[in-house]
Amino acid sequence: MNAANSQLRTLLPRESLLWIFAAQLAVLLPQFAHLPLWLVGAWCLAVYWRLEVFRGRREMPGRLVKSIAVLLAIAGLALTYRRWFALEPMVALLAVSFTLKNIELVSRRDALLSLMLAYFLAATLFVFEQTIPYALYGILCTVIITAALAAQQGRASARPQRALSMSAKLLAQAVPVMVLLFVVMPRLGPLWAVPQNGASATTGISDSMSPGEFSQLSKSAKPALRIAFDGAVPPPEQRYWRGLVYTHFDGRRWSEPGVSDGFSHWSRGRSRLQRGAESEEQPLPAVGPRYRYRVIQEATHSPWLFAMARPNSKTRGVRETPDDTLVYKMPVANRLAYEVRSWPRESISGQDELTSWERRRNLQLPPAGNPHARQWAEKQIARGLQPEQISGELLDLFHQGFTYTLRPPVLGADSVDEFLFGTRQGFCEHFASSYVFTMRAAGVPARVVAGYQGGEWVEQEEYLLVRQYDAHAWAEIWLTERGWVRVDPTAAVSPERIRDGLQSAAADEFMEDSLLPLHKIGFVSRLRLQWDMINYRWYQTVVSFDSERQQGVLQRLLGEISPLRLAVFMAAPIILALVVLLIWLNISSRGPRLPAASRQYLRFCRRMARAGLARNPGETPGEFAHRVARELPRLGPMAAHITAAYEKAAYAGDPAAEKQLRRLVRSFWPMRIIR
Amino acid sequence: MNVQSSAKGNRWWQSSRLQERGQRWLSRRLPPAQSVTLDHRKLFILPTGAGLAFLLVIALLWLLGTNYENNLVFALAFLLVGLFIIMPVHTFANLAGLQLQRLDVEPVFAGDYGQVKVRVAKTGKRHHERVRLSWPPEEGATFDLVDSAGDRGEVRIGMPLVQRGRVMAPRIRVDSRFPLGLFQCWSWVDLNVEFLVYPQPKSAGPLPIGATVGEGEQQQQLATGGDDFAGLKRYQPGDSLRHVAWKQYASGRDLNSKEYVTGSDTRLWLDWDLLAGRDVETRLSNLCAWVLEAERAQVPYGLRIPGHTLGPGLGTAHKQKILGLLALFPVQGVSR
Repeated sequence: MNAANSQLRTLLPRESLLWIFAAQLAVLLPQFAHLPLWLVGAWCLAVYWRLEVFRGRREMPGRLVKSIAVLLAIAGLALTYRRWFALEPMVALLAVSFTLKNIELVSRRDALLSLMLAYFLAATLFVFEQTIPYALYGILCTVIITAALAAQQGRASARPQRALSMSAKLLAQAVPVMVLLFVVMPRLGPLWAVPQNGASATTGISDSMSPGEFSQLSKSAKPALRIAFDGAVPPPEQRYWRGLVYTHFDGRRWSEPGVSDGFSHWSRGRSRLQRGAESEEQPLPAVGPRYRYRVIQEATHSPWLFAMARPNSKTRGVRETPDDTLVYKMPVANRLAYEVRSWPRESISGQDELTSWERRRNLQLPPAGNPHARQWAEKQIARGLQPEQISGELLDLFHQGFTYTLRPPVLGADSVDEFLFGTRQGFCEHFASSYVFTMRAAGVPARVVAGYQGGEWVEQEEYLLVRQYDAHAWAEIWLTERGWVRVDPTAAVSPERIRDGLQSAAADEFMEDSLLPLHKIGFVSRLRLQWDMINYRWYQTVVSFDSERQQGVLQRLLGEISPLRLAVFMAAPIILALVVLLIWLNISSRGPRLPAASRQYLRFCRRMARAGLARNPGETPGEFAHRVARELPRLGPMAAHITAAYEKAAYAGDPAAEKQLRRLVRSFWPMRIIR
Repeated sequence: MNVQSSAKGNRWWQSSRLQERGQRWLSRRLPPAQSVTLDHRKLFILPTGAGLAFLLVIALLWLLGTNYENNLVFALAFLLVGLFIIMPVHTFANLAGLQLQRLDVEPVFAGDYGQVKVRVAKTGKRHHERVRLSWPPEEGATFDLVDSAGDRGEVRIGMPLVQRGRVMAPRIRVDSRFPLGLFQCWSWVDLNVEFLVYPQPKSAGPLPIGATVGEGEQQQQLATGGDDFAGLKRYQPGDSLRHVAWKQYASGRDLNSKEYVTGSDTRLWLDWDLLAGRDVETRLSNLCAWVLEAERAQVPYGLRIPGHTLGPGLGTAHKQKILGLLALFPVQGVSR
């Protein structure tokens, strides 16, 4: 066996190549969206080259060409991605190794390597998205890759229909094991920090608020949060999902210094230990009214989470901030579920005092601008009004002659003044912004809170669906004795926005830019809600199945979780499956079933053999009966009877004889008779 | 037993004692028989290199799923685990129930491939795909028994044979990696294959027609000194120098003189003694070549070797008889 011969033997046939390329295409296709264009081109080129080699029109690339290709690929990656420690470059690296492998795809071993890589690349798809369509596509990819693996076995296995059906059959058989392992296998949690999906900006609340931003959000019907309650569900006017607090105002834009960079935000959060110490000084009531809920948040690519006031979360990686909001340890790159308990503000005794730093932070105003608003505030102070009264005056002002609209006029440099004393038309951010500005001007610590308000209650699945157009901005002011108090200036103008949501508050303007006014068609809305429910169910049962839920499920299945029970739970199905399989193997390895009479006669022969007289091959039943009579005379008559009955049953097809044969054989125990 | 595959080299697990033990164990478990039906007692199964790579991929996927806390990645990893778990069952089922039956073993010349025909048949309804029969390190033959190919088939496999005589073939390896190549299921069956290996034909010049007399005068040479070359004999002082086989002497052989005889016998005797001065194997090879040539030329021929004399004749049966005698000529031979 020389080298040339072995190479010839393992040279990949056409079907193998085509299957490998099909598998690669399947896994790369959705990734092409993330991948740079040159990589897509390179992959196509590599495939083309390899096929040309197969046709004999071109040589396999030499070492020089390969080295150049590797260098070019590395250079390309380096130029495309500045940051290496991120998800996209890693996926690109995998795609590059695919591509480079293609130009030296020679042996079976190369083919296998390429397909193993394909499995891995298919999995990275899920790191980007965990939605149902992606899951379905992932299944498709797996079927194709497995079919490609089967196709490497030979020409007969490589026929598309056969390869695919075999792959699907095998995978279907693997599903029970998958389900079992999915439920039982412990989830360890991240072993080391991994790069996260830093995908492009998505719609959602950003780290700052300037006029017009929220009206943009109101055009999107995408789900933002899904909230399931354990126990009481808060009434609509209490459904304020706080996300971010803005304390800094530069005259136009509200923002929170340091918030855009998730890490520092996170480190400002209180760790669990610190929280323990703090809860001593300001205890949260162990009993009493509170809401318990589980929030499933869509990917936002920012670290802040959404919860009602006074949140407390035990979910790993979630912390509370001093601003009473929740943050995640990293930007939320995928759907995230977290458990929250919130105490309505009324049930907690207020904080005594604001630290001076906090006070300064919440009174900050730009040095100049908006003179009318400042004047108005000073006038109120001069009148000797208390903070609550000033707030009341301001809300009264809003109540008189202000309009809530999705299409507010454009504002100039002194946006607060222009809004308060000019246009008087605005969306929630205008009201919140001007309210906080004026309150601060009046010496009352105040801040803008951004988040979502309201949500659609989904009756069948019992969860609250909050969409992007539920994005809202409101205010909080600091009152001595009472602490931070929520004030929603929008409610003063348009109470229906708070009670019934945006759609009824601005019915004419709602979603009017959308291509098709789908929200107006009841059927489509219902369909959309159905789809959301399926998504919710999917997310609840599959995507967010964490160690906590795992424990719950196991507890329900096993009663209590002990190693013994777990072992039995794991082993029982496997043993059962093996037994079934063995039986199946046994049955399917048997030849065609013999007629009943023959089976009975063979039974007789077996018993005779045990008694020491086996029927010779080729010996007719008659001859055998004679031989039995000769050698074991005591069995002779019985053997003759059985033989006669057999011959009658088998050759004359006599059912009575068959019955008789059965009876005779059943009672035929030669060993006993001999003894 | 002539185990040819042991020529691969001795690694520790191939040490002769271990191998001997293994062979003993195998022959207890898989006794030689002309027909063998593969079942769970006869089949072995282990993951292949590809299977191990597959496990590695699963491990990597598990890491990916753990680090990203991504349940879909977990699901994929577990699906592949399931695939891996059911795979040996399928690979096993692909071989179980396969019946192998030795058909004819054709005689062969040393230096050629000995071939055996094996009938492969289903015993149940299950298909057998991508099954390979081989004598490692030979490639062997791969076959499928599926619906289109029918219930049975014939497969021909071969191995190189170098020694003449009766050669017991080593066990045949039956293996398959169907359906995904992640597991390999195999067996070593002994179908009692015995090759009759004829000596390797080596030409010894033209046929010695009329070189020796016929029956009854076996040992008596015709008068030497004629025109017809009869063969070589060891040089003895007194032989004509013109008759010395200088060419052979130059090529390192002993000093021989050519013998010429006169008078011709139309009957051809392939005589051991015509090839005096060569070693046993060479003589056998030369005789073998002559047999073939005589058969080709359709000249009736007889054989005279120590211990056997076979009258002249023609035809396949005659040829095979003579070649069989040559093949089974004792290795130690007789003294010249």
